[in-house]
Amino acid sequence: MAQIKIFGYADKISIKPGETIDIHVSADGVAEADAKLVRLIHGDAHPDGPGFIEEEVPCEADGPWAVRKQYTQVGSFLEVADPEGRLALEGAITLFAFVYVGLPEAGLRQCILSRWDNVRDLGYALGINQRGHFEFWTGQGDEVDYVQAEPPILAQHWYFVAATYDPVTKRGTIHQESVANRYNSLLGRVCPIDYRSHVAETFRFTPRHLPDTPFLMAGSRDFHETRGHFVSETFCGKIDRPGVYGRALSWDELAEIKSGKPPAPDGLVAYWDTAAGYTDRGIGDDVIDVGPYRLNARGFNRPVRAQTGWNWSGRNDCFRLAPEEYGGVEFHYDAVIESHWRKTRSVRLPDTLRSGCYAIRLRAGPGVGLAEEYVVFFVRPKTPKGKVALLFPTASYLAYANEHLSFDAEIIQPMTGQPPIVSEVDIEMYKNWEFGLSTYDCWADGAGVCYSSYRRPILNMRPKHRMSSMGVTWAFPADLSILAWLEHKNYDYDVLTDEDLHLEGVDAVKPYACVLTGTHPEYFSERMLDATEDYIAGGGRFIYMGGNGLYWNVAFRDDEPWTMEVRKLDSGMRAWAARPGEHYLATTGQKSGLWKNLGRPPQKTVGVGFIGEGFETSRPYRRMPDSYHRTVSWMMNGIEGEIIGDFGLAYGGAAGLELDRYDLRYGTPPHARIIASSGGHSDNYMLSIEEILYPYPGLAGSQDYRLRADLVYFTAPNDGAVFSTGSIAFGQALPANGFDNNISRLLGNLVDAFIKPGALPGSYWVNEEKQWK
Amino acid sequence: MSDSTWRNPLYLWDVEGAEEAIPANPHRDPQEVWTKTRQSKTPMLPVGRLRYYYKWPGHGGALWSRLRYWPTRRRVLEIRGEYNPKTLRREKTIVDKRPIWWALGLFAFMLGPLVMPGAYQNTLLAAGATFSIYAAINLCWMLILGTAGIYSLASYAVVGAAAFGVSWLSINLGLPWWLLPFAGAVIGLVFGVIIAIPAIRLDGFYYALLTIGLNELCRVYTLQSKQFGSSTGGLYGADTYIPQDWSSFDQSLLAYYACFVVLLLALALYRIVDGRRLGRILKMAPEKREAFAEATGVDYRRARVWVFVISSVGLGFIGGFYAAHYRGVSFSIFGFDTVLLGLAMLVIGGIGRAEGAVVGTAIVIFLDKVMISTGPLRLVLIGAIMLGVVLFLKGGLFGVKAQFRSWRDKKKSERRSMRSEKGGEMLPEEATETKNKDLLYWRRYDKMQRDFLKTLVTQEIIEEHRKQPLGQHSEPLERLLLYFRRAPQGDKYAITVVEPFKAYRIVAMSGQRGVAPRIVEDKIYASQNEAYHGVFMRRIQDLLES
Repeated sequence: MAQIKIFGYADKISIKPGETIDIHVSADGVAEADAKLVRLIHGDAHPDGPGFIEEEVPCEADGPWAVRKQYTQVGSFLEVADPEGRLALEGAITLFAFVYVGLPEAGLRQCILSRWDNVRDLGYALGINQRGHFEFWTGQGDEVDYVQAEPPILAQHWYFVAATYDPVTKRGTIHQESVANRYNSLLGRVCPIDYRSHVAETFRFTPRHLPDTPFLMAGSRDFHETRGHFVSETFCGKIDRPGVYGRALSWDELAEIKSGKPPAPDGLVAYWDTAAGYTDRGIGDDVIDVGPYRLNARGFNRPVRAQTGWNWSGRNDCFRLAPEEYGGVEFHYDAVIESHWRKTRSVRLPDTLRSGCYAIRLRAGPGVGLAEEYVVFFVRPKTPKGKVALLFPTASYLAYANEHLSFDAEIIQPMTGQPPIVSEVDIEMYKNWEFGLSTYDCWADGAGVCYSSYRRPILNMRPKHRMSSMGVTWAFPADLSILAWLEHKNYDYDVLTDEDLHLEGVDAVKPYACVLTGTHPEYFSERMLDATEDYIAGGGRFIYMGGNGLYWNVAFRDDEPWTMEVRKLDSGMRAWAARPGEHYLATTGQKSGLWKNLGRPPQKTVGVGFIGEGFETSRPYRRMPDSYHRTVSWMMNGIEGEIIGDFGLAYGGAAGLELDRYDLRYGTPPHARIIASSGGHSDNYMLSIEEILYPYPGLAGSQDYRLRADLVYFTAPNDGAVFSTGSIAFGQALPANGFDNNISRLLGNLVDAFIKPGALPGSYWVNEEKQWK
Repeated sequence: MSDSTWRNPLYLWDVEGAEEAIPANPHRDPQEVWTKTRQSKTPMLPVGRLRYYYKWPGHGGALWSRLRYWPTRRRVLEIRGEYNPKTLRREKTIVDKRPIWWALGLFAFMLGPLVMPGAYQNTLLAAGATFSIYAAINLCWMLILGTAGIYSLASYAVVGAAAFGVSWLSINLGLPWWLLPFAGAVIGLVFGVIIAIPAIRLDGFYYALLTIGLNELCRVYTLQSKQFGSSTGGLYGADTYIPQDWSSFDQSLLAYYACFVVLLLALALYRIVDGRRLGRILKMAPEKREAFAEATGVDYRRARVWVFVISSVGLGFIGGFYAAHYRGVSFSIFGFDTVLLGLAMLVIGGIGRAEGAVVGTAIVIFLDKVMISTGPLRLVLIGAIMLGVVLFLKGGLFGVKAQFRSWRDKKKSERRSMRSEKGGEMLPEEATETKNKDLLYWRRYDKMQRDFLKTLVTQEIIEEHRKQPLGQHSEPLERLLLYFRRAPQGDKYAITVVEPFKAYRIVAMSGQRGVAPRIVEDKIYASQNEAYHGVFMRRIQDLLES
């Protein structure tokens, strides 16, 4: 019997009591799983803390669920809506496109333009063969005819490719010529390379078609008996302005198209202007056919838009400036954005459910390891009731969703200073492309992953999960330590997510006296940042509980908030770098990259900003002299000595992993106070890249004073206030010693003060100092 | 404390586990290795091969109209377009030159009679005709032996049976010559089906024995059968296609070309059976891998029987032609010497290839029929050649190329492993085979690094790591760790969880997306720190062994 495995995801991440949530489950080796609604309280199983804590909550969906194996479509492609079968050409054919190939040596057949059935060998296709040449092939069912271009394709080079078939002469041709300029391709003019090829062969038959084969770009139709129809032979690379003619064009006519002229209307069946329909506010998934029949194409698995096209001149750096130079649609044969599984069950949440972090716990067979799944979602109140809101950084969860760093990134061991500790679940994720990748990974052709969604199983957004490369909890399971602390201290709290903040803006947080973030709110959309700033400016009290927060500019579509886009650019701690000219978010038209580089460093909002990271040790904070001032000294009530946080579940200290520091140059409010700072970090802590103009020896923990976490406090308009911890490990220090510790006390003092309306403690001790001492 | 002490810069910060000073290695200068190394330890021999022949450039902007063998999709020549890695010039390489050699060879054979010296004309024409017939028989046999992998020695028996059958029919029923090959084909079909049945159950040696027995049975039967001319040494008097009123030269010439046509037909049959679906199915089920092929859904038994039956029809056809050519047939066709001579032809040429069958036949026929003047010595010569081929060649004459190449590769790797330092600088000959030249430098750098790092491994360092695997380390230990951590992903050590916080095990990464890490040892470590140290010790061991 097959090993029992069970995976699932929910269609929503944030939901209110009484609403319905759809759960999608795939299971191997089992037909039934036991479901239970649970409230998650603590997610770190580290023996120094309280351990994993969940609370079973009665729900109509509890009990056995019928589950089955579900398949995931891997690879991005475009599907053309052609109900009348106009592209089912059984006579003369011309296919043409501008193509930039990412992985010609994949050793796999990759389709560029096809109306091709892989099982029945019917139709036609223009693609790349296993040897890495452009090839045109047609089929009549029992036989296939091919014509391939002469030289192998060179990767990352813009070609114009065309194929024709003439039923009278039975001649099939394939043409390829380079359309590289000084900017758009990998190799320059100095290479003595002849890219041209024109080959003709006499075919034996005219292609025939199945009526229901779809016309696809970057894939072809396939079939499996338990799975049904799916798309295979997917493609890595960019396609720009492809088209189809119902007659065989001569090379002279094709050369006109190659030169950039619009294709002549005579015999044109379809011409997809990949640069059409761009708006100043972003680009959707539809690719528009400007030919006579309007056979628009729709993207699956988010083909990447707003990419430089074959005619990119290098002068413009954004699709908004010159859409006609940005017709490149980028595909990846291993792209998985959404699983698109069939719904297993709709769950109606009880009306009386309190706000919190919940999961449908699914168990089958042994019920541990791969046979146990937590489908996590967050329940916010119907109407805000609590005084405190815990804002789960779900955007960051998306960014790290199913990251492969331990397995694929050579840099991860020097970065984290330790060998990774991989679990059974990590290995399962690595073995299957179906789980997709995170924005810390690259697709097979080396291009960075810029989209991530939660409509797929996210194996590291689960309780108990430990980040393999670091050996500690990270993001979601670490954030539960803050929730457990609120729970332990009996605060009246609600739970919110980044999605709520993005969609509702400041209204989502306005009702709360105090908002706490998660341990690593790194990814912020403009609306989230605006809302945070407005909340603080409007008198809100904000506790930034993490490190390296408010860092990347990301975007979500309003109608598809489950998918996030980020482009990693020339600066910042980044897993990849976007290609030149591709630095703008296709979703919104904004420039991506660091908020710091867009004029909004995190210091400007929360007083601290990213300075460096290290992963094998954590350090305590030590009180700074400014903390003795009566405006702030109240925070230290009940705390003895100067050392705070010399314990914790993340390497035994409250200041660790990623650190933020106070910096007036980046807009830390001038009246901000440093309450305490960490120090004595090891040399694994290195300065962040955006702080380095010239690298020189000594930019590591034991030699650079800037590597530290600052606890920073400042007051904001309308009795608002901000307290920043500047360290990811801070939250993981809360549960130490049964929540009885000085980090817990410090945070308790702050939250107690912040939820009291009116003036903040110490706010009258503001006179000019006239010290005798 | 002497100079071999390391003072922890974080001691004053009261970092957990940080000792003020620990025994450490005396300082070593990492540049020392670089200063000392002035040249490679191995001689750097010049490499490079002169292009002494012409290679076609690409077609560039011109249209290349490629020809196919009608009605297939097979191109006349398989040509690979490529970029010369040394110059980036577009080049065309003929991947398979055999069609050229075939065309030249067959053309030469066709023009042969024009250049035959007058004195030997008759001998050569007769030998040519015999060659064609035997080559045709051997091609069919090759299908059975090579393509289908059935050890049948009954091919000449099928030919003989068909020849005797049609001769009898022609003599007794007056069948005209043009019907004889077809009648032969029918006899071949019946015979083929009968011999194919035991082939389903018998394998290898036993089947060969059975077919030899069959051959002998035919010989003895005809030898003793009056009807089949026991008294005349064979059955003669069949109708022939050769007009008797022609001059003997014209007759020989006609026979020469008629047999040539039969040879061409046999080649076509070989190509169709071996190169298309049937042959491909059988190539997926080579000897000793049948079970695997069967498990993947290849019905190789059915394919084998089909090939056998088709070949038998071909053999019968040739038998019919044989009778029409020689006006009958003698018992010698069933002779064991005939079988052995035929086998010699196949073995000398190389089993499993059409060119092997044809050229092997040519050699043996030349020795046997043309050098007839040398007497029985020629048979000794044939035997010697066969012995030589069997002893020294793996795949007959036409396997020489592949055999030579693998021998050269063997020698190459022997020489390289003798010359090169393990993990050291790449040899010039390896460098030419490396696409990314950056790797050449990486190899040098890595070697220097390791040479230096090996000098840092001491008990003190190991003890320091054991006490505190994570955190600030002494400079030499930090250098070692940084080197280990930066290794490429393939075979890089990692740890896997057996039971969280209780049991860990060391694995090695695949470095290949989708391929799970492999377990490198069974040992279970009770804590993360112990596992970290376990990984460290393995890495130290690998370093010292390199």
